[in-house]
Amino acid sequence: MTCGTLANLAVINTSLRGRARRVTPAGLGRFLGRRIGIGLVLMVGITLVAFVLTHLVPGNPAAANLGQRALGDPAIVKAFNHEYGLDKPVVDQYVIYLGKLLHGNLGISEQSHRAVVTDLAEYVPATIELALFAIVISLVLGVGLGILAAVRRGKLVDGVIRVISLLGVSMPTFWVALLAFYLFFFRLGWFPSGGRLGPAVTPPGNITGLYTVDALLHGDWSLFASALDHLVLPGLVLGIYTVGTMVRFTRASVLEVINNDYVRAARVKGLSEWTVIRRHVVRPALLGIATVSGVAFGSLLSGTVLVENIFGWPGIGQYAYNSAINLDLPAIMGVSMVVAFIYIVVNLLVDILYSILDPRIELR
Amino acid sequence: MRKHVAGAIGALASAAALAISTVGAASATAAPSASGGKTLVIDNSFQLVTADPGHMFEPSGELVDNGLYDTLVTFQGSDLKTVVPDLATSWTSLENSKKYIFHLNPKARFSDGTPVTSADVVWSLDRMVNLKGNPSFLLAGEKIVAQGPETVVMTSALPNPALPYILPNPATGVLNSKLVKAHGGTDAANASTKDTAENWLNNHSAGSGPYVLSSFSTTTQVVMKANPNYWGAKPAYSTVDLRNVQAPVQGLDVERGANEIAVDLSPAQTKSLSGVQIKRAPSPNVFFLFTNNDPTISTVTSNPWFQKAVRAAINYKSLVALAGTGSVQTPGVVPTVFLGALPSSADSKTSVSVAKADLAKSGLKNPSVALTYPTDVQVNGINFGDLAARVQQDLQQVGITVTLQPQSVQVALQTYRGGKEAMGLWEWGPDFPDPSDYLVFGPGHLVGLRAGWTTADAPGLATLAQKAADTTGTAARQSVFQAFQQQLNQRGPFMPLIQTAQVVVATKSVKNVQGNGLWLVDLRNLG
Repeated sequence: MTCGTLANLAVINTSLRGRARRVTPAGLGRFLGRRIGIGLVLMVGITLVAFVLTHLVPGNPAAANLGQRALGDPAIVKAFNHEYGLDKPVVDQYVIYLGKLLHGNLGISEQSHRAVVTDLAEYVPATIELALFAIVISLVLGVGLGILAAVRRGKLVDGVIRVISLLGVSMPTFWVALLAFYLFFFRLGWFPSGGRLGPAVTPPGNITGLYTVDALLHGDWSLFASALDHLVLPGLVLGIYTVGTMVRFTRASVLEVINNDYVRAARVKGLSEWTVIRRHVVRPALLGIATVSGVAFGSLLSGTVLVENIFGWPGIGQYAYNSAINLDLPAIMGVSMVVAFIYIVVNLLVDILYSILDPRIELR
Repeated sequence: MRKHVAGAIGALASAAALAISTVGAASATAAPSASGGKTLVIDNSFQLVTADPGHMFEPSGELVDNGLYDTLVTFQGSDLKTVVPDLATSWTSLENSKKYIFHLNPKARFSDGTPVTSADVVWSLDRMVNLKGNPSFLLAGEKIVAQGPETVVMTSALPNPALPYILPNPATGVLNSKLVKAHGGTDAANASTKDTAENWLNNHSAGSGPYVLSSFSTTTQVVMKANPNYWGAKPAYSTVDLRNVQAPVQGLDVERGANEIAVDLSPAQTKSLSGVQIKRAPSPNVFFLFTNNDPTISTVTSNPWFQKAVRAAINYKSLVALAGTGSVQTPGVVPTVFLGALPSSADSKTSVSVAKADLAKSGLKNPSVALTYPTDVQVNGINFGDLAARVQQDLQQVGITVTLQPQSVQVALQTYRGGKEAMGLWEWGPDFPDPSDYLVFGPGHLVGLRAGWTTADAPGLATLAQKAADTTGTAARQSVFQAFQQQLNQRGPFMPLIQTAQVVVATKSVKNVQGNGLWLVDLRNLG
């Protein structure tokens, strides 16, 4: 998501000449109200687009989900279509879907025979945990190495970091995943092969759905170790592309300002180099980093399909893939809604972050 | 000064990277080891929807339910030709296989310690039929009644000699009826809308098998614990963890000893493995080619001489080589591991000269045809696309131009099931290990119609198919099903190609490993 796209979702007034303004509670309230309203309209629009598109796909959900023999029995096909509301006209199906949606009911999955909400409650946190880990790693390594490369511009360190970042953005994720799996699991045995927990380990009681967090909240350190152990390798693989992007972006942003007059003035004033970098070099780059982070989080969510498959990570990527190949319409709709919701929320948070990082930006 | 900043940042970044790798290394060391001991970890690429036997009809589900539920009769090891006792100690077939009497083992107990009764059997089987789910057809038309607490009688209007081969399917697993009723189960005629027990049965088990359900996820893992009240021989493992793992990863898992058994590897994927035990055997999964017999679909493929030319042109040995060690050419549609299979001497023979002569007799000049197949599914690690490319190459040699038409399975299924494909490459996996399951290839039957082959096209063969369905007695059935397939090979629009290999890879610590064509691996007899 670029700043230009963000502008479609929010009204951000950037007045470079204006005085710094604080975000007032009333202003924030108006901003949130407006954005939530737009978000709701977007969500309804997304249900319509997803519904129409899934019904345009050639295929028959009964044929996709029933066995060959069962499909030959009209009574069984009738029972299936009735159970999932497929015996009604498409428009009626959509109206019924919206009605149920108002009550938080996303229907029953044709694959799992469970409520889609129940499925999503299981799979979405797994992907969020993976994506959050990847984004944190990306921020720590990407920003750190990007600043380092800029500060040491033209030196060996800069060259090494640039090569690493180039590799990060140019290597296909599935290839990195296979390579990492082979090296770190099969050869070195540093990490387990897949899944979220070790064999026969019982998941922690569900609080957030993020196993590492829930294990900590329960004070179960061995469970936490198992969860973290399983998270690290897929998280790193997923984050490696974002690290590369973040390094390149941060380096370019820092280089833009590092030789400006106000930076030199800060040095002349006798401020320590660390303070100069932190206050006068990095801070202006944070807006861009926030934007890239928002974009990266979105692409991480959509990029999890391959990583989840290779590492047996039971997230929304696998669920979406299985739903698509089985024409599981309620599940496809549910996944579309959740992904859209996450995008909207992440964009909202990034916009709010803008006003915090740069008081000249007014939310309205 | 800048150097200090750079050093500090570099140190931070390095420390972060080091911390990550250290956590990984340290926690990997601390992670519980699954090898040996009492826990058995099985890698499987999940095809799993439910643990409820009344709804279950997927390979992974059969593996799970085989551990959780007993059936009246079963199979042992990899032998799918010999039915052995499970809950029923003995059974009798009467009235030309229209009536069966099963005598239950009085020692049988559910996991809560209560006895397994004939009422539980009747309730479970009626529920499975009335749920109108995927497995319901298995016992459609069977009247099931209890005669006393330990006798079950099953009767049907037509002879059903396949019944003993149908009943080992874990979908016919016997449930603790009182327990399941208490959680929304019903065997009533309207069970398809009134039964609400599936969710409960996906979190608990209510059977008498060697294991009880500990946790169940259709995407991650299924954990089963040893049933403390099991009435049979105690299982060798106290915990079985079935994990969803992609096939290519399974081999590495077992080779490294992280997990004990892998069930989805292709023969090619096992070539580089070392230090493990590998069991290869022909699976019951049959790949076949068909040429549509309906002239309105294709005047080319419906030509009988064209069909003969295709049959003679295919290089079967090349297909078997492609499928790898353990796979075989299938002489008929009934796989070699089932009763009624044709001997290998009946294999179709490859002959380019015969194929060219047959094509000349067809009167077709430079015929061209589209071959449709699914792209996004594999069977025992074999891609349809690889086989289709070989078929294209073989037919090209005799002057038939094949245009490959790969499609997503859901799209291809539409045209296949609608009988719209001129030429199709498909696979048939058994619903139950009996030759009667393959009568669907007959004219006017399910798969026959998909190939545009009606009863009017081959009335003699249709009569023979009906005779095969009604024949009882092992020897007589063997003979009539072989005759059916011989005629199918001569006159039908089907070209049986290969049976894929079923490969089970295990660490050397696991004893008595045997693959099973229904439930992938024989869990109950592992040592």
